[in-house]
Amino acid sequence: MKSINILMIISLLLIAGCLNESSNVEWKFFKKIKLDNISPTGIAIQHNFIWLSDVKNNRVVKTDLSGNFIEEYSNIKRPMHISIFNSKIFIPEYLTDKLKVISESKIDSILLKEKPNAPSGVSLNDSLIAIADFYNHRIILQGKNKITIIGKEGHNKGELYYPTDVVLINDKIYVADAYNNRVQVFDLEGKSLQIIGEKDCINVAAGIELTDKYIFVTDFEGNRILIYNLEGILIKILINNLDKPIDISFNNKLLLVLNYGNKSISMYNNNL
Amino acid sequence: MKQTKILFILFLLVEVGISFGQSKEVKIRVDGLSCPFCAYGLEKKLNDIKGAENINIDFENGLVTMNIAGEKNINKKEIKDKVKEAGFTPIKVEILDFPKSSENPKQ
Repeated sequence: MKSINILMIISLLLIAGCLNESSNVEWKFFKKIKLDNISPTGIAIQHNFIWLSDVKNNRVVKTDLSGNFIEEYSNIKRPMHISIFNSKIFIPEYLTDKLKVISESKIDSILLKEKPNAPSGVSLNDSLIAIADFYNHRIILQGKNKITIIGKEGHNKGELYYPTDVVLINDKIYVADAYNNRVQVFDLEGKSLQIIGEKDCINVAAGIELTDKYIFVTDFEGNRILIYNLEGILIKILINNLDKPIDISFNNKLLLVLNYGNKSISMYNNNL
Repeated sequence: MKQTKILFILFLLVEVGISFGQSKEVKIRVDGLSCPFCAYGLEKKLNDIKGAENINIDFENGLVTMNIAGEKNINKKEIKDKVKEAGFTPIKVEILDFPKSSENPKQ
């Protein structure tokens, strides 16, 4: 009987650990934008504009911060998590295994030297392109004269299982290791440096965003946003106003969460 | 000579009827279509099947429908393999003869 009680207490503590929302950092929800006729899978903020992937309608849409339509780029076959670099919009085309770029109102393709199978996310810096290669369970890191393959299928350290998003920052690669329910950090040579969120009951780590202080992770099936510091310590969980959050974007003090479930954007600001 | 021409034309018509008149409709029931990476991944894998067209994913009901054009002899195993490649477990696969002359009602 005593052991049953102990087990119950341990179970309750574990459950509470998964749901607990505690932090001295405030993230205040202030607005929800409903997205009409958009099945959203990717979001990126650019100044006062929002770029959205509309996977069902094979297009990328630009809106203002209130969600008002500005323009669209069509015939992009199943766009997923998008990224902005040097004022250009980079779009992994999931159906055709291509990387598209919107620059000065024109769409072009970028040559990928190693072909992905269902590219789901992209991130760039001045010399590198990182692609989340969903069906090959890896990240492709393409430099000018070098290709580095990061990860392989599996559940251990250094391995990935259906990665969906990637962020390349400060010579590190942060991967939304979606179906391993965690974030994994690699160096540019592919060495695993850190695993984040493994004990936080994430149910599909679909989207990731970074600032100079924080790592934001969308828990797609768990309807949560988990916010970590760069050491990987969980500092905050957002649980309200979310419905299958699939991607997230941060700009200055504005945090935008893209909800695939109810086709909306949840907007937060903070006191940082 | 005239009879030969008529027979030849009849033969051509029959051939055209076979080539363009036969199509198959496939219905696949799967679980877990709520994740778009998985659902559109399934579409991508099914798209590899020769003659695949009109792939439609009903997210709410977990039902995928598609047509296979032409005379392609598709079998359930090929479809099930593609479903598994996409990371799903197929619950049910149905293949129905679907005369193209009547057109897909969804179009």
